[in-house]
Amino acid sequence: MKKFLAYLLAAIMVLSMVGVASASELAGTYDITVWVAAEIVDLTKTQIEDFNKTNELGITINATVEAVSEAEAATNMVTDVEAGGDLFCFAQDQFARLVQAGALAKLGVKAGENVAAVNDPSVVAAGTVGDTLYAYPLTADNGYFMYYDKSVIPEEHIDSMEAIIADCEAAQKYFAFEQQTSAWYLASFFFATGCESTWETDAEGQFISVKDTFNSPEGLIAVKGMEKLVKSPFHLSSASGAEFSSNAAVVVTGMWDFENVKAILGDNMGVADLPSFEVDGQSYHLGSFSGCKLMGVKPQVDPVKAAVMHQLAQYLTGEKAQMERFEARSWGPTITTLQQSEAVQANPGLAALLAQSPYSVPQGQVHGSWWDIAKVIGDDVKAATDEAGLQKALDNYYDKISNLFKLDTSALLFVGAWNGWNNADDTDTYYFKNNTLTLDVPESDYMGGRIVNPGDWGTDKGFAQVTVGKELIKDLGADNPDNNIVFAEPGNYTITLNGADINIIKN
Amino acid sequence: MKQYTDLEYLKLSKGQKLLYRITSFFCSIPKKIGGLFVALWNLIKTAGQVIGKEAADIWSTFVNGDWKTKLSYLVMGFGNLARGQILRGLLFLLFEAVFIAYMVLAGGYWLSMLPSLGKVGPTEEYNIIFDTYVTTYNDNSFKILLYGVLTIFFIIAFIYTWRVNVKQNQMAEKILASGKKLKSGKDDLRSLVDDQFHKTLLSLPLTGILIFTVLPIVFMVLVAFTNYDGTHDGYYNNLFTWVGLDNFNTMLNWQSAGGGQSYAATFGEVLSWTLMWAFFATFTNYFLGMFVAMAINKKGIKLKKVWRTVLVLTIAIPQFISLLYVSKMFAKNGIINGFLMSMGWIQQALPFWEDPTWARVTVILINIWIGIPYLMLITTGILMNIPQDLYESARIDGANAWQQYTKITLPYMLFVTGPYLLTSFTGNMNNFNVIYLLTGGAPTNPAASSAAGTVGYTDLLITWLFKITTGAESQYYLASVVGILVFVVVALISLVVYNVLPSIKNEEDFQ
Repeated sequence: MKKFLAYLLAAIMVLSMVGVASASELAGTYDITVWVAAEIVDLTKTQIEDFNKTNELGITINATVEAVSEAEAATNMVTDVEAGGDLFCFAQDQFARLVQAGALAKLGVKAGENVAAVNDPSVVAAGTVGDTLYAYPLTADNGYFMYYDKSVIPEEHIDSMEAIIADCEAAQKYFAFEQQTSAWYLASFFFATGCESTWETDAEGQFISVKDTFNSPEGLIAVKGMEKLVKSPFHLSSASGAEFSSNAAVVVTGMWDFENVKAILGDNMGVADLPSFEVDGQSYHLGSFSGCKLMGVKPQVDPVKAAVMHQLAQYLTGEKAQMERFEARSWGPTITTLQQSEAVQANPGLAALLAQSPYSVPQGQVHGSWWDIAKVIGDDVKAATDEAGLQKALDNYYDKISNLFKLDTSALLFVGAWNGWNNADDTDTYYFKNNTLTLDVPESDYMGGRIVNPGDWGTDKGFAQVTVGKELIKDLGADNPDNNIVFAEPGNYTITLNGADINIIKN
Repeated sequence: MKQYTDLEYLKLSKGQKLLYRITSFFCSIPKKIGGLFVALWNLIKTAGQVIGKEAADIWSTFVNGDWKTKLSYLVMGFGNLARGQILRGLLFLLFEAVFIAYMVLAGGYWLSMLPSLGKVGPTEEYNIIFDTYVTTYNDNSFKILLYGVLTIFFIIAFIYTWRVNVKQNQMAEKILASGKKLKSGKDDLRSLVDDQFHKTLLSLPLTGILIFTVLPIVFMVLVAFTNYDGTHDGYYNNLFTWVGLDNFNTMLNWQSAGGGQSYAATFGEVLSWTLMWAFFATFTNYFLGMFVAMAINKKGIKLKKVWRTVLVLTIAIPQFISLLYVSKMFAKNGIINGFLMSMGWIQQALPFWEDPTWARVTVILINIWIGIPYLMLITTGILMNIPQDLYESARIDGANAWQQYTKITLPYMLFVTGPYLLTSFTGNMNNFNVIYLLTGGAPTNPAASSAAGTVGYTDLLITWLFKITTGAESQYYLASVVGILVFVVVALISLVVYNVLPSIKNEEDFQ
């Protein structure tokens, strides 16, 4: 009987899913608060009125639309979820923090499928943790490129950072690129030389691992390039288009400043992808983060209101609404069909963003503290007097990242025959997590390996430090100059780093 | 060390006097600390004695009292009612009823949850009909902590009232035994506007202070012993719980947990700049403000009112606007650098906000500009109040302007404005506005920055606290620890300085 009931219930559920949210269930008037950037407040009001007129579910939204910037919205939500807007917009970098703060309601299964079907995959990924979507894509233009004053910088110079700096110094005008207060802009130099900082989360949005190569020979090249810029007396650490009205010739910022800059510079406005810098005779094209802005729904207790909020969010991030925002404020759409439309492709700002895109890195989920930790690199570089100082900036950064993640031991890698002696393994299967690693040692001639830092071959610790489980490994004596750990027989082992000691247990 | 008598002391030369005073100050420190412990021990002893006496009194009242008194131990106000003091009796009874009802309905729950700060966090369910996820919120650590503390307050109030109730019975028995009449409800009401008027007046402010000042302070202090932060907000994501002294350990540990600088070192750096800033901000303003006031007061200066009005105008503009504006003026591409460069006096922008030393000096200088008008206003009145005959006789004795200043004006000013100097010093230690609006703490101190927000060279403890709460991690618990430490520092300085102020020490000097 119980089983039958269960089947019946399941059948009812499936049936009801077909008729998701019929008119009578959601009909009603709802008083809500919506937080959007100041520039689209009026537009959003109109769009909500349109939604009231056109929706077939009988929903009437009585919305208070408030101007809350994307950066503020996230902080306000984290501080007090209850007082937050029912719908709010935020930039991608705040996503992880909002999920952790419990400030985002998951999208329903169907809603999630709908969003994923029409939007740019990288944008969908930005709002996803595990397999679940937590937010609606709003714009896909959250990247930066270069605005310049054509009367100061000649067109043939825009590909070289050094030439631009020289032009700026000659004209006593400023090159604004926010290197001292923002990790988001500062990462540009690191991406140029191929460094990465990739973070991974589990299904709950908790960070479980990071792969960070800022502190590397490539990273050193990057800070050398950065040094050229930040030590110029005419570098300005700012990313505001308004700087053009106070003596700037170049500003690196994004689409959101397009109308502002145009109003200041008029016909003298030039837009281009970022320039290249040169270190030791080699040229590196500046990279960038490409990210997006998302719209979130505050978690609701009432399922009906929750459903209504999601309906509205879908409308506001839908095709029509995105196109309206593009036309009114040049916000780049996230829906693939819109991205390919002629009007969007003809926009000069979006074109510059497109030109920059081969050098840009999609912004994945980044630990909230990373932004605070990385942003001081610029100051460190500016204060450095020699190459050792530059290296110290990187060490300083690496220390703090390690501190955050206890990477000093957990980032160690156990390389050997099992992963093809690969010392920069992407799968992170052979990383020590919480000082522990469980691995399968396959049958082979040399069933051993060494404990190294990622990308490095020097043995960090090995045979000599094994205290527990010494009987499980071979003592090769003088044949083991690299302090390798060589297992006596294949099997599944758990290796624990206990301070300086190593414990090995056979499972 | 050798103690000099007054006469011996006066015979010493100036340098010797100073040396003597400094050494005697340091020599007295161990004695003072010892005195502190003695005072603390006495306090505990007295508290023990008082509690013992109260308990004995309660017991003897019970043993010696009649049945009305005995029943009052259980039913508050019963004795009053039985003896005809209806109003008092009813009030006691009502209070007991409210207390019991509160404890049963809510207080018991809050109190029982206080040790754990909640057991079940929020849960999420998928609603297949509406295709939405619906969150159910359960325990709320924040409310548990708040109402738990409130409940404890209430219990203390109840115990106190119960004690009053017992005492009233004892007194009533005594009064009746002596053959006098007890006060009626009418008498009680009358006395509230007559001999008990102070209670009527004070009851409202006292309740206000308890609820709006003491309760939040206790709450904030308790936060320092929890892990309340952005990812443990106690309701919407995770519950928070007690962690003991862990946070103090983090903040005061010189050993950094991993890489980077330890919190203790950062705290030390920020504290030293905070003290430096408070010193300069207070005394530059004080002396320059006094100087300006004296200059305007001087005979022969024309248009006195105009000068005063011009200076006061800077007060009329909200600080928030003027500071933000000045901050922009001194920016790398601001109007000041722009002007200097266009005149050809400098080749590249001066690093007003970029270089640590420049930034610190600029902040202090701008603060002078803001502070002088206030000091001028305050000191103008006091300066005019100094008896002119003092100056006249000094002039007749041949004292020059500097001598008159150091011997007459300054002692008088210090005497009158000593307490003001102290409050402005502590005020400057917590001067959030000027720092936050001018520099926001910049330039960043790369070494001192940690996960608890980016710390800059001009950050005061209070702005650092702000950054901790609003940083990526929103570490309210660390902010609370910093708050407590700021209190300790400010309290220490205030107590020491207060005790050496001339206005406190030599009260009769200028009377």
